[in-house]
Amino acid sequence: MSEAGDLTDRVPGTVGDRIAGAVLLVLAVAAWWLSHDYTSGFGQSVGPGAFPRLVSVPLGVLALYLMLRPGFNQRWPRRAAQLRQLGMLAVLALYAGLVEPLGFLPSALLAVVVLIRLFGARWRQALPFGALLTSSLYLLFEFALGMPLPDMPGLDW
Amino acid sequence: MEILAYLAQGFAVALEPQNLFLALIGCALGTLIGALPGLGPVNGVALMIPLTFNFGLSATAALILLVSVYYGCMYGGRISSILLNIPGDEPAMMTTLDGYPMALKGRGGEALGLTGVASFVGALLATIGLTLFAPVLVGFAIRFGPAEYFALFVLAFATIGGVTGGNLAKSFLAACLGLLLGTVGIDSVSSVARYTFGWYELYDGIDFIVALVGLFAISECLVFLENTRQDNRPTMVVGSALPGVRTAWRCRNTIARSSLLGFVAGVLPGAGAALGSFLSYTLERRWLGRRGDFGNGDPRGVAAPEAGNNAAAGGSLIPMLSLGIPGSGTTAILLALLLSMNVTPGPLLFDNQPELVWGLVAALFIGNLLLLALNIPLVGLFARVLRAPGWFLMPMVVMVAFVGVYSLSNSAFDLYLMLAFGVLGYVLRKLEIPTVPVVLGLLLGGQMEYNLRRAMSISGGEWSIIWSSGISVGIYLFAIALLAGGLLFHWFVKRRPAVG
Repeated sequence: MSEAGDLTDRVPGTVGDRIAGAVLLVLAVAAWWLSHDYTSGFGQSVGPGAFPRLVSVPLGVLALYLMLRPGFNQRWPRRAAQLRQLGMLAVLALYAGLVEPLGFLPSALLAVVVLIRLFGARWRQALPFGALLTSSLYLLFEFALGMPLPDMPGLDW
Repeated sequence: MEILAYLAQGFAVALEPQNLFLALIGCALGTLIGALPGLGPVNGVALMIPLTFNFGLSATAALILLVSVYYGCMYGGRISSILLNIPGDEPAMMTTLDGYPMALKGRGGEALGLTGVASFVGALLATIGLTLFAPVLVGFAIRFGPAEYFALFVLAFATIGGVTGGNLAKSFLAACLGLLLGTVGIDSVSSVARYTFGWYELYDGIDFIVALVGLFAISECLVFLENTRQDNRPTMVVGSALPGVRTAWRCRNTIARSSLLGFVAGVLPGAGAALGSFLSYTLERRWLGRRGDFGNGDPRGVAAPEAGNNAAAGGSLIPMLSLGIPGSGTTAILLALLLSMNVTPGPLLFDNQPELVWGLVAALFIGNLLLLALNIPLVGLFARVLRAPGWFLMPMVVMVAFVGVYSLSNSAFDLYLMLAFGVLGYVLRKLEIPTVPVVLGLLLGGQMEYNLRRAMSISGGEWSIIWSSGISVGIYLFAIALLAGGLLFHWFVKRRPAVG
């Protein structure tokens, strides 16, 4: 319930809501535009384009309304927090790219250790707990659940 | 008495060793997840879905596990509210108002015991209500055609914003965004690829689980990263929970009223547990007014929201099972689980798979007893979990989500898509655009479109079929009434602030 929330964390959304409204408006117009390409040959009373069109109209109208009457936003994070968030996304994207070529164990270990660091722990906490978490995940999926994870190249684990 | 026969059949299913074990695991895990600050039923159940698929469970067993997690989270959410002043989830938010002051006065154990009983009564009442009312609703819904179903979907979307409050335009915007995202992929009727831009990974549509885990779990971690340094929590003396049972008896009227109110709030489409606890607390505070010590640790202020939100959680299962329309984020996930196991909730489910429905109901009764046992004598154990540092818990949450989703599809594309949904969920939360309607839109869009097209092909392209039957007009009127009622209620609450 927003009423019970901490009101000091809220800021007027004049900028944020207007940008969001503009993006969603573009999305609605694009969806409307593209939906005209979706036709089926047979005599269906409602073709594949109709429902997306039906949805893009209220989407566009509401987006326009949001630009004209912006509401409130949560306070955006500081620079340091933004860097940590970007760090988490980068590490996870790296993991997604590395897990198939390198195998689960090395890529997960790398990801987990960096993640634990990002969430505020020290190296001497991150290394042992990272190893613990990686090996528990490996045991859980590989043995308890029987879902094989990608192996390291040239090895079967 | 037909119901009793069905229930007996259900208990036979729920008491099978595997299902009993799953209920126990689910209750314990759910309490644990619910107790962790920031992780609530939506995140908890979302996180369990990939694991459930990996286990290879039957639909009945999977549903029993996830609903036990759901109930468990609802119980567990109170623990961090009371001891840390951090709600474990949105429905537990109202519990902080009187729960934390009670804990500061050294009555933390008592508050936990009291809320354990209140949760039990609320959930039990809702489960009884589910047993009695779901078949009635089914008898009514069996006459629904595609046009009525379309109206029902409109009802679900119209009420989701109006009842839960917040910015109405933003809720509808979120629902439209979700509905549009739901059209991505090959159209099942005409085989036309929509909004795929030549990416064959999108031909099957956006995987619901990927979107869900991204929107809830990944975005939760991004929120958590905003302030990792504030880790100086006071250590609280918990004490025994048993005195709380006696306190609960003194609060029996509050608990009864709140349970009833929460149940009604839960049954309404688009409402859910947060509304249940909000209504119960607000009205109890109004009702007792000066006779209470609300805001400073009044036991009734702790009992009311907990009875209310647990009753609402049970009530919200009714529209999900009997109509196939989820009222909340968590029931949307349960619905998604059933759909992806080729089980279609709705009136026919009660005829076609009674063992699933009644097995689930029986499992809820059993789970409730298990949860009472877990949450009164053993609550200290769960309270200890709160001392686990965030730097270990949050990476664990992310990695379980990542590895779980990857092992379902073996596609790195899904992982990138999940990250994108994580960013989307985070930005939406910062903009105060609710994410639950996005999920509902994504999930229900396909069904809504399908029913619309079926209705239109019956009528031969005549749009008036949408509002031509008495039932569908009634549903539209009900939607308008709920919307107006919600707006009125919020106007009333805002004008005379009772909270905070």
